[in-house]
Formats: sequence, C-alpha cells, structure tokens
Amino acid sequence: MTDFRSAGFIAARSKMTENPCLASRPCALYFKLHSGKTMAAFHSHHPPEDCVNCEHRHLRMFCNLTPEALQDYDGIGIMMSHARGAKLFSEGDPARNVFIICFGQVKISSTSRDGKTMILKIAGPGDVMGLSAVLANVPHEVTAEAIEPCQVKTVRKQEFVDFLGRHGIASMHAAQSLSGEYLTVFHDAKRLALSGSAAGRLARLLLDWGRTAANGKPEIRFTMALTHEEIANMAGTSRETVTRLLNQFRRDQWITIKGSSLTIVKPDQLERLTA
Amino acid sequence: MQSQARSGRMEAVAPHPLAELLECPPATGNLLNGATVPIDFVAGDVLFNQSAISRGLYVVISGRLLRRTERMHAHLLLGPVRAGELVELAAVLGDGCHTYTLTAQSSGSALLLPIQALSLAFQQYPPLRMHLLEELAREVSRAYNACCMTRATKVRRHGPDALGE
Repeated sequence: MTDFRSAGFIAARSKMTENPCLASRPCALYFKLHSGKTMAAFHSHHPPEDCVNCEHRHLRMFCNLTPEALQDYDGIGIMMSHARGAKLFSEGDPARNVFIICFGQVKISSTSRDGKTMILKIAGPGDVMGLSAVLANVPHEVTAEAIEPCQVKTVRKQEFVDFLGRHGIASMHAAQSLSGEYLTVFHDAKRLALSGSAAGRLARLLLDWGRTAANGKPEIRFTMALTHEEIANMAGTSRETVTRLLNQFRRDQWITIKGSSLTIVKPDQLERLTA
Repeated sequence: MQSQARSGRMEAVAPHPLAELLECPPATGNLLNGATVPIDFVAGDVLFNQSAISRGLYVVISGRLLRRTERMHAHLLLGPVRAGELVELAAVLGDGCHTYTLTAQSSGSALLLPIQALSLAFQQYPPLRMHLLEELAREVSRAYNACCMTRATKVRRHGPDALGE
C-alpha cells in the first residue's frame, strides 16, 4: 500500500502537474505541494480533505449518508492515495479492510483454475471493495489493482462492521453495494456465456462501459483505461481479435477513438452484434 | 492446490441455517410470521422472472427449483435451489429487481416474506439486517467462485430449439 508520501505519490504528482485535469476523470487526486498549497487550487472540482465536505458525496452510492452517519463515517478509516499499478489487496489475502473509492479506477480480477487472470470489472468512485470478503469472513476472492492514480478510504474490518451496526442507512447502502457486486458477477458470466461471438462480447463490454460513463447523457463516451490484452481478457477472446474488431468498428464508423477516449457513435449497430 | 483453496473457500461461504439467519426476538418473529405468504407450486411454474420487481424474500420449504438467467434466445442455468435456502437476498436488500428467473422443476412449496414486513423487522431488530447482510456477502462470494468456474469452463451455448423446457 502507498500513502501520500510514497514514491507512487511523487510519480503521480508530477503527472498531475503536467495535466491537472486528467481527461474524463478530473481531479483524480489532490496533493499537498511543497509550498503548502494543494493541487486542488488549480481546479474547482477538487476532492475535500474529509467526507463531510465532499462535494461529490451525493453522487456516490455508499457515502450519501445522513448527517449523523456521515459525521461518524468521517471519523473512521484513513484516506490513502495509490499510484497506478498499486495493489490494494490480492486474492487469498486475509480481508482486514474495506476500501471505498473516492477517485480513480481499480481493476478487479481473479485467477481461474488454469492460472489465467480474469478481469471481472473496473471499479470506480463510490464503489466499495472487499466488503463481501469482510462480511463473509473469508479471504479476498479477487485482486484489486489501481489502473490510474486513485484515492481510497480504507476502513478496518471491525470498525466498518461496527459502523454498519450503528447506522441503518449505512447497512442499507452496504447491502446495495453487495447486491451491485452480485449483479456484476452475474452480468460478467452472462456476457461471456450468452454472447455467441467475440464481436458480440466486445460490443457488450463497450456498451456497458459507455452507458455507465454516459450516465443518461446522449453522448456515449468513455476513457479506455485498459490495454487491448486486458479488454480481451474481459471479453473472453484474444488481444489480436480485440485490436482487429476495434479497427473494424472504427472503419464502419460505429465508434471513434481519440487517444484513450472512445465514443460509441452507433450503439444500435453494436447492440445488434450482441443479439 | 488452487482447487483445494477454492473448495475450502466454498465451504467457508456455505449458506448458514435459516433458523440462525432469521433469529429474532418474539415480537419481530411474530411480525414476520404474520406477514408470511405460503406459495404452492407445480413443475413448470415460474416463481419470479428475471428483472421483475421483487415482492420479498423466498424461503423454499420443499420441491426442486432451478435458477436460470437469459438474454434474447439464449439462457444460462445457474443451478438448483434446495429446500431451506433463502432466495434472492440481493434483490430484497439491493435494488429490488430479480437477478434471474426461478422455475419449479417439481411440485413443492415456499414461503414469501414480503419486503414491507422485512423493512419493519429491520427497524425493530437491526441485527436481523446484519445477519442477512452477512448471508448476502457469502452469496456474493459463492457467485465469484461460480463465475470463475464459468470462465474456466467452455460454456455450451443453447439456441431456442435446444432449451428443451
């Protein structure tokens, strides 16, 4: 694990100085500079230093608590920053903490019986990680790795369980989070098992990501934080096939790709592929 | 080695007995008992459909039921439900929509604990929610394991003609 003073922080800080507003994920982190000013001073949507004053709280499923519960929530756990590539926990590790993502994206993966790594989902702001393992009292079922600099609230197991016991709304949100996790797992299995072709599975994946990022907006655009190899892993196909299909979709003008930003221009065409 | 670890993990997340999960003080127990709706089913009956709004928590008393998820003309069997199991905790505690379709394979009976009664019971006796939350966590853990199996196994895809149901 890393903290603000780690090498990861320094690396991330230099990146932030170059580009304080990272594409579609503005203000992924805030940092104390040597002068004592924060990076947040460069941007108006900066994350605050505590949960009570977080302007994004109402958008996050778990942290949108009553004032009383929020005050309590603010007092538990610690806020940590992780550099890209940092592992928050690994499959098989004892589940000692619950992690709530404030900013950034985390890759959730698991290992199959034949030793292959399988990416199950990309967790984003507001997602709670490690909750099922903590509440079921078993080792982590998955590995969580930051795919970009991220800020995560880390709460000790017992502290979190006690907090849920004190606040009905928090346990309701925890239940919703677990239920969401459950749906994600089913969704993943369904995507792999029920889409007949590699093109269909890739199309389903792009549509899922796009619609999540669009959040009801007409433009379906998102930032691809994964490599083609990793996307192939999620779609149950090869890296070469992903590259070929993305090129094909682009040639057909169903999608446009600019840098790491992907826009779905003709979602209906992709939808047809998933049938 | 890895399969041993996985089977150990599956044992650790096995469903807990119903009596333990629904243990609560007499007043809350009476509330739940009073609200419980008995359901009898025969082979082929659909107890609920995927994506439908959940009416509550189902407790299977007897009979064989099968969980099935579908998309367009394809379906995936998610396995049987045994007597004594709580069904669709995720829907009750979460977004209120069913994750899969539950179909009867034989005659039997189940109990339905309506959502409204459960909500009242949670208010009266908060540890009940925690017990169910822990059971949901175990269910999620089991789903992760099942998902890994699905990923590792070459899945046979069925067309509408091959359903045989």
